[in-house]
Amino acid sequence: MNPACPMLEVKGLAKRFPPRSGQALSPWVLADLSFHVAEQEFLTMVGPSGAGKSTLLNIIAQVDGASAGEIFFRGKVIETANGAALQPGWNCQIGYVTQDDNLLPWRTLYENVTLPLKLQGRFDAAGKARVDELLGATNLTGFERYYPHEMSGGMRKRAALIRTLAYDPPIILMDEPFGAVDAQTRTQLQQDLLRLWYRGGKTIVFVTHDIGEAIALGDRVLVLSKSPAKVIAAHKIDIKRPRDLGNVYRLEGFGDMFEAVRRDIQ
Amino acid sequence: MSIAVSRPLLGLGGTRSLVPLGRIAVGIAAIVLWQLASNAMGSDWLPGPAAVLARIWQLTASGELARDTAVTFWEAAAGMVLGGATGALLPFILRLSPRLMTALDPLISAGFGLPKLALAPLFILWFGIGITTKVVFVASIVFFLMFYNALAGILSVDPRLIAMLRVSGASEWVVSREVVWNTAKPFLFSGLKIALPRALSGAVVGEFIAADSGLGWYIQNERSLNDVTGVVAGVVIVTVLVIAVNAVLQRIQARSLSWRPVAKDMTM
Amino acid sequence: MNARGIVDRIIVLVLVIAGWELCSLYFGTIWFSSPLRVFNRFGAEIRSGDLFFQASYTLRAALYGSLLGGIPAALLPFALRRHPIAGAILDPYFVGGYGAPKLALAPLFILWFGVDLEPKVALVASIVSFLVFFSTTAGVNAVNAQYVSVARVFGASERDIARHIVWPGAIPYAFAGFRVAAPYAIGAAVVGELISSNRGLGFMIQSGATDFDTTLMFVSLVTLTVIVVVVNYLIGRCERWLLRWRPPTQRLTSRVVGT
Repeated sequence: MNPACPMLEVKGLAKRFPPRSGQALSPWVLADLSFHVAEQEFLTMVGPSGAGKSTLLNIIAQVDGASAGEIFFRGKVIETANGAALQPGWNCQIGYVTQDDNLLPWRTLYENVTLPLKLQGRFDAAGKARVDELLGATNLTGFERYYPHEMSGGMRKRAALIRTLAYDPPIILMDEPFGAVDAQTRTQLQQDLLRLWYRGGKTIVFVTHDIGEAIALGDRVLVLSKSPAKVIAAHKIDIKRPRDLGNVYRLEGFGDMFEAVRRDIQ
Repeated sequence: MSIAVSRPLLGLGGTRSLVPLGRIAVGIAAIVLWQLASNAMGSDWLPGPAAVLARIWQLTASGELARDTAVTFWEAAAGMVLGGATGALLPFILRLSPRLMTALDPLISAGFGLPKLALAPLFILWFGIGITTKVVFVASIVFFLMFYNALAGILSVDPRLIAMLRVSGASEWVVSREVVWNTAKPFLFSGLKIALPRALSGAVVGEFIAADSGLGWYIQNERSLNDVTGVVAGVVIVTVLVIAVNAVLQRIQARSLSWRPVAKDMTM
Repeated sequence: MNARGIVDRIIVLVLVIAGWELCSLYFGTIWFSSPLRVFNRFGAEIRSGDLFFQASYTLRAALYGSLLGGIPAALLPFALRRHPIAGAILDPYFVGGYGAPKLALAPLFILWFGVDLEPKVALVASIVSFLVFFSTTAGVNAVNAQYVSVARVFGASERDIARHIVWPGAIPYAFAGFRVAAPYAIGAAVVGELISSNRGLGFMIQSGATDFDTTLMFVSLVTLTVIVVVVNYLIGRCERWLLRWRPPTQRLTSRVVGT
């Protein structure tokens, strides 16, 4: 595999939804959207709410189809707008952590986390070991028999995260996963995520509306415009790792980066 | 925004006309199958659609249909008024004394538990086989239905609205009228809509057990004469009647749409 | 519930029994029987085993009919989910069948199937099937589309989705359908017996009426009420156990909707 070849490349992606009855055509949600992601990069994307960030991730994960444009995964075309059948998750190569944790309420924590592995037929000794390790890394050991409604919001988010990590997809899409928790829990979750990213050598595409979060976590931040969304700016984030997320606002270079991104959004 | 994407069915244009055509096709197929089954099993056991229609025509021409339908309808209507008024009113009165409501609760549960249909012979014993019996019978069914719906409506009243009115000096009477009545209204109408078809079928069942006129009586009479065509004709008439009444009430309810999201008709 | 509530209820109970006794004294025991007589007769019927015999007949009809009608009705929505066009085509027929009074079919079933258990089973099945079908359909439709999408992303096949997501999600609704249908099922069995039978609680009521034996009638009415309340309670417990994963606020309403 050519090291210069990006892991994921999106070219000229465009999307409009089928019109409601009576309307002629609906407006474009995404238009001429292009970007690439390198191997093991932590890419963050920031943009105003409703800009179509979720739609973009849905298309990359093949939960929804594109109206125009192409997507390449490790050099191979995985999506064009030609109406071919979608393969959600692209054969478990693309993981997707959604905004709502979407844990199945009738399964315990352990059953939820191991479900993908079981369905893929990979729940062997190695799989079990991975799951136990991930539970330990996110402080969830001991809660295996809890049902989702018995766990806190932060715990459920962690569970949703390790559910995807357990089956080890090389690239993981994340849609504002830490939005609905309090600030302290969020910092904790961000630290957990960075730690897991480091160790696992994963590639992550992380979407958020919080500029601070985007800068604190990412190697590079892309700025999306309002609807129809396209990439209007890209900034390389030079802040050294490991980053102290509790004090990220005081890190060198943060302030300037923040201003730059904010101006782009305006 | 969520990850859920609704997938459009096949090609949009093609599906839209397929469904109504499919429905008509299924309907025709059903009638054809009915006739075939009747031929196969003999019309002594299963009369075909043609025979049933002929019998219905005969009943209409002789005036029997009109007479029996009128009797059944009258029983249902009278029962609805009697049962509906008392059933709907009671919760409003009970509301004024929460203590009374808790005290009566087991009685109410028992009342729901008893299948009202089982009371028919008792009513017949008390009131004979005339129309009164059926009216009381229907009333007992409608009473519990309306009671339940009115109660649900009253319990759904937002206490904050009441508090707000009281603070601005309204009397208990005004509060009742303004907040309680308006909150309960959609539930009452929903209850009425459900009650009428129930009242009709209640009247018919009452007539099964003892009567000398009405659609239910007709069906039972035909059964005792072993006249299966008559029985099926009667059943078809009752079914069509109830479905038609239901459809009309649905229309009325849809047109007078409440601004409030009415609780789904899971209360059947 | 506090002590005062309990006392109030006992007072109500005493008043009802006293009122009943007064009515029977005033109008004559032929019309009303009396609490004491009913109580004694109740004991006699239990001891002779007759009550049990009749009640089990009615319950058997209700149970067989519920299973016969309810199980296919609970499975059908899952099949229709895969073929939404078929579901759309058949929808008005289902709704029409639901609106049609199934009890009106009782004499027809008796004519076809005789006077034994069969017509009652058929009647119960016809009623229960529609109730369970619509409840289960509501459950299948209520399946969270997000769960389905997420599962597809981590490799679930259509079969996996049906088994792990649609089925567990819809089961509470199917169960609620059975719970709501139970009193109707018992009521339908009784109606079948009232019209034509020589066994069952409905038959008891009817024969009591023919003999002017109001005491017997009341005994069976009380028995019926107790049975329905107990069955409702038991199914409710089953449901709560099956659904222990549900957060407490989400439990479906447990109030019996009676005729």
